[in-house]
This record gives sequence, structure tokens and C-alpha cells, in this order.
Amino acid sequence: MDKIEKIDERGVWEKIADQLRSRSMWMLHYCTGCGAVELPPSTTSRFDMERLGMGPMATPRQADLFLITGYLSTKTLRRVIYTYEKMADPKYVIGFGSCTINGGIYYDSYSTINRLDQYLPVDLYIAGCMPRPEAILNAFTKLMDMIRKGEADGWKRYKENYEWYKQNQLRSLGEVVVYDEFHE
Amino acid sequence: MQSLLLYLAVGALVGYFLSMINRRLGPIVLLALSLYGLFTLWNMPIGSVEGLFGFEDILQFTALSKYFSIITLIVFSCYAFFNIVWISKAKRPHAFSALSILTLFGTLGVFLTPHLIALYIFWEIAVVASLFIVPMGKEESKKATIWYIVISSIGSYMFLYGTFLLYSKFGTFNLFEISGDIASESTGFKWLVSLLLLSAGIAKSGIFPLHVWLRNVHGNAPDTFSAVLSGQLVKMGSYIIALLLGTFPIATMFSQFYAGVNIFSYVLIWLGNISILIGTFMAIKQNDMKMLMAYSTVANGGYILIGLALLDQVGFAGGLFHVINHALAATMIFLSFAAVVYRTGTTKIDEMGGLIFKMPVTFVTYLVGIISIAGIPPTSGFVSKWMIFQSLISKGMFVTAMFAFVGSIGSFLYVFRPLAGVFLGQLKRKDKDVKEAPMIMLIPMIILVALTILWGVFPQQVLVWVTDVQRQFGMEPFKFDGTVLYSSLGHWDSWTVFVMFMVGFIIAAVIYILMPKGKKIPLDDQYTSGEFLHNFDLYHYATKYYAFLEREYEGHPSFEDWYTSIVNVLKAIGKGVDYFVRRTASAYTFWMALVLALLLWVRW
Amino acid sequence: MTALKVAGIFLTAFFFGLTFEGIGRKITARVQRRYGPPWYQNFIDLFKTLSKHGYTHGWIFDFGVIMALGGIIASLGFVPVGGIVAFPGMDNFFVIVYLFTIGSLGMAMGMVGTGNPWASIGVARALTLMLGYEVPYMISIGSMLYFYRTSSISAIMSAQGGDWNLVKFPIGALVALISLQGMLGKEPFEAPMAPAEIASGPMVELSAKYMGLLMLMNTFMEFAEISLFVDLFLGGGTYFVFLLKYLVVWILVVLISSVLPRFRIEQAVYFYWTVPIILAFVQVFMTVNGFVF
Repeated sequence: MDKIEKIDERGVWEKIADQLRSRSMWMLHYCTGCGAVELPPSTTSRFDMERLGMGPMATPRQADLFLITGYLSTKTLRRVIYTYEKMADPKYVIGFGSCTINGGIYYDSYSTINRLDQYLPVDLYIAGCMPRPEAILNAFTKLMDMIRKGEADGWKRYKENYEWYKQNQLRSLGEVVVYDEFHE
Repeated sequence: MQSLLLYLAVGALVGYFLSMINRRLGPIVLLALSLYGLFTLWNMPIGSVEGLFGFEDILQFTALSKYFSIITLIVFSCYAFFNIVWISKAKRPHAFSALSILTLFGTLGVFLTPHLIALYIFWEIAVVASLFIVPMGKEESKKATIWYIVISSIGSYMFLYGTFLLYSKFGTFNLFEISGDIASESTGFKWLVSLLLLSAGIAKSGIFPLHVWLRNVHGNAPDTFSAVLSGQLVKMGSYIIALLLGTFPIATMFSQFYAGVNIFSYVLIWLGNISILIGTFMAIKQNDMKMLMAYSTVANGGYILIGLALLDQVGFAGGLFHVINHALAATMIFLSFAAVVYRTGTTKIDEMGGLIFKMPVTFVTYLVGIISIAGIPPTSGFVSKWMIFQSLISKGMFVTAMFAFVGSIGSFLYVFRPLAGVFLGQLKRKDKDVKEAPMIMLIPMIILVALTILWGVFPQQVLVWVTDVQRQFGMEPFKFDGTVLYSSLGHWDSWTVFVMFMVGFIIAAVIYILMPKGKKIPLDDQYTSGEFLHNFDLYHYATKYYAFLEREYEGHPSFEDWYTSIVNVLKAIGKGVDYFVRRTASAYTFWMALVLALLLWVRW
Repeated sequence: MTALKVAGIFLTAFFFGLTFEGIGRKITARVQRRYGPPWYQNFIDLFKTLSKHGYTHGWIFDFGVIMALGGIIASLGFVPVGGIVAFPGMDNFFVIVYLFTIGSLGMAMGMVGTGNPWASIGVARALTLMLGYEVPYMISIGSMLYFYRTSSISAIMSAQGGDWNLVKFPIGALVALISLQGMLGKEPFEAPMAPAEIASGPMVELSAKYMGLLMLMNTFMEFAEISLFVDLFLGGGTYFVFLLKYLVVWILVVLISSVLPRFRIEQAVYFYWTVPIILAFVQVFMTVNGFVF
């Protein structure tokens, strides 16, 4: 079977910028589910993440990479979408673990979602429950490769298909009504 | 000079009656008179002598007079211009206009005469005129006025006592004639007279220990008049201090103490140090923006006193330059606060926020004002701070230098608090319809901003006035050459600093423009740790801004409480006397019995 | 000629400032027994941030960021770097210290102008810390100015001759080093920029090129402050000797910062107001009475 060759439409500056972006990715220090426990070993001395140029960042404004580590309840998903929209372009999303791919061990729960891809554009999935740090580093190098080839364009897909994503979000999660104990 | 003073005295009455026709005419009269005064006094030659009301040679125009009069007239012109619109919110506009003109009359009179009794009369006219304006402000201003008059009288009566002491010794009231003879008196007499005469200046400039009135008076007075109180009336105190220090001259009257500074000046410098400390740390705690700037006046009064008491080539010039810097900056800041209060109606910092989007020009005025007070180049505030620091270090006075540094750096803290609390941050929902201040209010603020920056980059004009004053007192004048300022420790060029600042700014702007543009997002699109907020009004950090620092000095002694305790002691004594003179039957019987017993005892 | 010298100083600060920061990250990594990023990592970080598409919060935010970088570039022009002295005789110590504050004020203003209270908290802490470290710094350097009877940095640099001021004023140098740790914002005085505690403090709402401009401002500020220390206490020197001395001081600072935790802001200010001030006054006493080695 022939692989479909994607046409690389980036300009010269974009190509240089993507080379730079791949070598210095900052991940958002946002730990959603149980997979967050695999991040400290990846960051610290044994499986050093910083030699790839990656490091944790406290606010979404400065981060490029959003790691959805594990299952997402609807409550968390609302806030994940809110935070994702605060990040600056270009931004990449990695789905950790089986829960983001097909629901994992919580596939029949009433309050978690099964397919992350319908709410947020995901660039890369890592299979496993939880994936070990070696798998995580493997995924990061693959993502860097994808960025250099210009294939990691989740942010563009989100902007182009914004209506579709918003519809999915509203159907599953409902409208966000902010309750405040002073205004009840 | 004579005609100017007469015009002002008559102008007060004219202003009063004209403002009955249309309240805006009062400030217009004041504006016309101040501009006329500025024009006349700018061109008047130094050393001219005139008479007033039949007294010969009572008005003398010295270099010090010229410098301080010009500062006063600049402040009053901007104040009058601002009032043309603001007076519609004043409580008693007719008396307000008339008393403002009388205050100007008194102040200019103080600067123009060396005759001690005439000086005292003009001083009291200025104090009484401002005394009746202060209660026209908030409700608490009525109590504040009592503080003002009591502490001001302490200074004035000591001044009067000192004057008559000198008269009994020398037979003349003219200060310049006395200065030649005083060096031969005993040390005790010299200390007594100097302290008595200087206490008027200390009380008026708000130096420790007579600083307790500033917070309540400046904080609660009518908004634009706070600008005059803080920017100009405390300069009357600095004038007396500069005049006495230079004329006596203090430099040779007392024995040398440390590195060329005599013992009397050293006492004054320590009073200045403590004022800086108190002013800075009390200002950090305040929540009301006008009281915060009132404490800043205390701290800057300390700076001026330190500069003046150093009495040398660089330090004295630094003190005098700081007078004009603080006058301009305090006026700017208080006028911008007046504009904010005109539109929002409150002076508490944590009830406002985000006003920069509605009132940008007011914000720029406030910003340049605080840049000048903090002493940051290229505004004029840095020139005076530089001179004072150089002088202190060249003499090796490191403890005073420590207080000066603390004051300078602490001023960043307290001036930043209204900036972050009032102008920046989240815009409250109730302030959504606030508009910029009217154009006529903006013009004087813009003029003051331009003056501050102009004299920061080209300080020659002010330095010419300052060196004239130094020559009048027989001191070595400050050395400067174009925009290059020299001191014994080194020199710098204000134009080069400004050019470098522009170069840096342009490089940064070029990099900024070349890079991809950012998308504009509204104020409620913030990082909230992922939470959805209902009420962004509460997402504003302004209450107890420096709580962590305030905790460190929480249990500090309070001078205001000490004064209040003295008041309570006097009240208790009064109650004790009152006990014996109550109008009851038993009191009458008691006194009648006592007097009868006394008569019987004497008779027999 | 002056313009060339100033350009030389800027390029040195840009190139070597970022390189040394990368080397610092490598050293921190080695202290923590891992490999760390390559030495050119900070260049990549800077250009990556400049290439993103960010968000702006209004004109005060843009103006504040430009003023911050502009002020630091202005003050950097006055600092003697290696053999390059752009304004000999006019590089007055107080002028340089106060020009730093333009940068700080611009940054503070721009950051608080985003409307985020985390930024206000970070700025309040940064200003409070400034009240802590500036006072002992200026007192100990003031004693040195008094000794040499000049406040021009290039004059002090050349007056040292062969003897470094580090040897002549050891206590003053120690106080300046402690203040330097606070000025650079490195552990243990990192409270204003605490990443996880107050969400990066002032930098909470910075995206894309604004982040890049502020990182550049931080680099220039570090370069200027450490250069000042090297000029005043280690005798400046020719170009590569200067950079070597800079590297030694930088490695010392990084080593201290990589093993210490963060002080709370009131502990940091309390510390600065007890130990370094007493040491600074000991140095002043020694200088005024002539006990200079």
C-alpha cells in the first residue's frame, strides 16, 4: 500500500520555526488523571526530559504542549478545553494512556469521556495504562519528528473545524453555567 | 512686587464677588493673577528693594525669593486651571476661590520680605486662609483642621518668641542685619534662637516630631487643595529652613562635628532621617490614596531637610532642587487623584481598579509623577537624588546614606500601590461608564508632565536659579556645564542618559514590531488556574497589598497616639477643674462656705 | 565610535549572556546527576518564543514590555564590559543602578496591566525584595566609592591595578555577592518568580514574543549585574579575561541556587535587614578608619 505523501505547504520561516519549536517544547504542568504520576520520573534525573529541551511551565500562556494524562471526567474536560483555548498558537496535544483513546478501564462510566479526539485535536496518542517513562520519551521524540515534518497541525485543525468541536463539546458537556455562592 | 501683592489682596475680594455671578470666575481670577505674578517675578532683577503700605524697604527680592516664588506660582497656576472645571463640585465655591487667592497672597509675602514681623504676618495669613479651606473637604476634615491649627501654632509661636528674643538683643527685625552680629553670642543663645526660629519651618514641612497633622489634613482636604497643601505650603517651611540655615550662617555658627558638618546641622539631619523612615513605612500601610501621598510628603520633607542641612556645594543644591521636584510631582499626583475622585467619587484604593482603560491621560500623569518621586532618570527627580547621594557619600555619612537609600527604594513600594490598585488590574462593573476627565483638567497635568521631563533632560534652567541662591549665601556654587553635572565624586550627562534610553527603547520597539502580532483579548480572559469565575470584580489584588511586609513592623509605636494621650491628659485636668465650678446647689454652697471661712479667718 | 562600542557591548551581552545561561542549566543538571540541555538551548528557547502567535492585553502591556527591555538596554550601555568602555568617566554608579529601575518599573507596570492578580502579587514581592537587597549593596559599594573618591565604574576598575577589590574589601565583596543572589532572582531569593506557588508571578500572562522580550530582558539584566560585580570587585580586565571571571562568578551563583530552596518573602527581607546590613556597616567602619587590606 502506498503511503499518502502529505504536501508540505510551509514557508521557509515556518520550517525554521518548526525546527526550533521541536527542540524546545514546554509542557503545561497540568496533571489531569492518574497518568500524572509518570511525569515526575520522566522529568527528573533518571529519564531526564530536559536534554530534549523540554521543561514544565506553570501557565498555559507560555506552554506549547498539553499532556492529557489519563481519564477525563466531564468536569475536568470543561476546564481542559478552557485552558487549551488560552494557550498560544502553535500548540500540541498528546493523549496519554488508553483512556484517551477509547475510554480504557472507565469505558462504561457515566462521568468520563471515551474519545478525546472528538473534543480536542490530538496530535499523538501513547498507548498503555500507564505508559512507562521510556514510552513517554519515545513519544516525545516522535512528536518532535512530526513537528519537523509539519505533520503536527492539531491547532490548525481546531481553528478550521471549530464549529464541529464546539458542537461535540456542547452536546456532551452542556452549557457552562457558573454557580457562585454569592449570587444564588 | 508691591503691585503684585496689592493686586492679590484686592483680587481675593474681587474673586469672591465675581464667583457669585458664575462660580468658574473665581479660579479664572486666580489663574490670571498667578500668570501675571509668574511673568513679573521671572523678569524682576535679583536684589530689588521696595516698600509696602508706607514701610520703607520691607520687600526684598533675593535669589531664594525668586526660586521659591516661581515654584509657588507654577503650582498655583496649574491648580487654578484645574479648578475651572473642578469648582463645580466644591462645597462653598465663593469662599474657596477667595481663600485660595489669600493663600497665594500670604505665601508670596513670606518669600518677599526679610523683616521678621512682616514675615510672621504673611505666614499667619497663609495659614489662616488655608485653615478655612481644609474643612470644606470630607467629614473627617473638621477634626483634622484642629490638628493643623494646633501644630502650626506651636511652630508660629516659637518663631514669634525667637523673633522678639532677637529684637531684645539687637534692636532690629531685619534678618540680614542680624546675621552679621549673631556669631558673637553665647552658644546657648545661638542654639535657642536657631531652634525657636526653625521650629516654624519644621512644623510646616511636616518633619518629625511635628508630622502627625499631615496625614489627616492632606488626606481629607478638598481634592485640588491637597495639591496646594502638599506641593506648595510645605515649601514655605523649607523656605524658612533654607533662609535661616544660609543667612545666619549656621555653617560657621556651631562647632564642626563630622566631615565638615556642624553639630546643629547634624541634629537636623537626624530629624530628617527619622522623617524619611516614618514617612516611607507608614505610607506602605495606607489604603487611602491621598493619605498615602501625604506620608510621602513627610518622607520628601526629610530629604529636603537633609539636603539643606548639609550646607555644601552639592548637597545644598540637591536639597533645593528636590524642593521643585517634589512640588511638581506632588501637584501632578494630587491633581490626577482629584480627576479620579471627580469621576468615581471614592479615594479608597481597593474600591477602584482598571481605570487606565477609561482615563489614560490621568494615568500617564500619575506615572510620570511617581517616576519623578522615585528618582528615576530621565525625569528631574533623579537629578536631586543623585546630588544628595553624592554629597552624603563624599562626606562618608553612611548611616544617613542608608536612610536615604531606604527612602528612595521604599518609595517604589508605596507609589506602586495606587498604580496597581487604582489604574491597573480588573475594571469594576460599577466603573464601566467612567469617562476621562474633562479637557480643561487634562491641560495642567500635561503641562506639569512636560516640565518634569524637560527639567530632567535639560536641568540647566533650574540649576541657574539654584546656583544663584548658593552664591547669595556665600557658598561655593554647584558646578555644571550644559547638561553635564559635576560633583567631587564624578560626573554624568543627562542628555546622554536620555539618548541611551531612547536608543534602548527603539531597539526594543524594532524587535517588537518585527515579530508576529498578538491577538487582543479582553480583561476577563485571564489565567484563573482553570476555574470559571462569576465575578471578575473580586479578581483584583489591592487590599492589604504589602501584607507580608506590614506584618514585620506591626507593633510599631505611634506618634499620633502619643499626641492624643497628651490631649487626653489636658482634658482630664480640665475635667478636674470643672468639678469645682459646676453650677449645682452643692457647688455654690461649697464655694460660699469656703469664701466665708476665708474672710472670717483673715478678719480674725 | 561610541556607537560601535555600545553595539559591541550589546552583542557580547546577547551572545555570551545566553550561552552562559545554557551552561548554567547544564551545571544545574550535572549537580542533579543528569545530562541537561545543550549549551545553545537558551537561544532556541528565545527564538521559539519570538515565533509564536501570542495574546496582548492592551496598550499598557505592550508599552510596559518595550519599556522594560529598553531600560535594561540603556543601562547596559553604560556598564564597562571587558575592555569596551562606552562612556569613560560618565558611567556613574548611581546612574546605572537607577536605570535598572526603569526596566523593573516597566516590567512591573506591564505585568500588572494584564489584570491578573498573580502578577500583582509577584510584583509586590519583587518590590519588597528590592527593598531588602538594595540597601546593603549600596552601602558597601558606597564605602568603596568613598575610599576611591570617585563614583565612576571605569575609574574604580582601573584604580584597582593589580590588587583586586575582592582582597581589599572582603566583607564588602561578600555583602555584594549576597545581594547579587537577590538581584538575579535566584534561589534562595526566588520568591517573586516562584513558578508553581504563584504561577510564575509577574510572567503569568506572558505569551509568545512578550515572553521572548522579557527573557531577553532577564538575560541582559543578569549580564549587567554580574558585569558590575566583576568590574567593581575583580578588576575588569581585557575581553576574554573578563568573560572568564564572569563565568567563574556565574558558576558560583548557579551552584548556590541549585541546592537551596526558596525563602518566604518576609524571611528573605528579614534576613537582608539583619546579617548583610551589619556586615556592610562593619565594612564601612573598616573603610572609614583605613583598615583596607
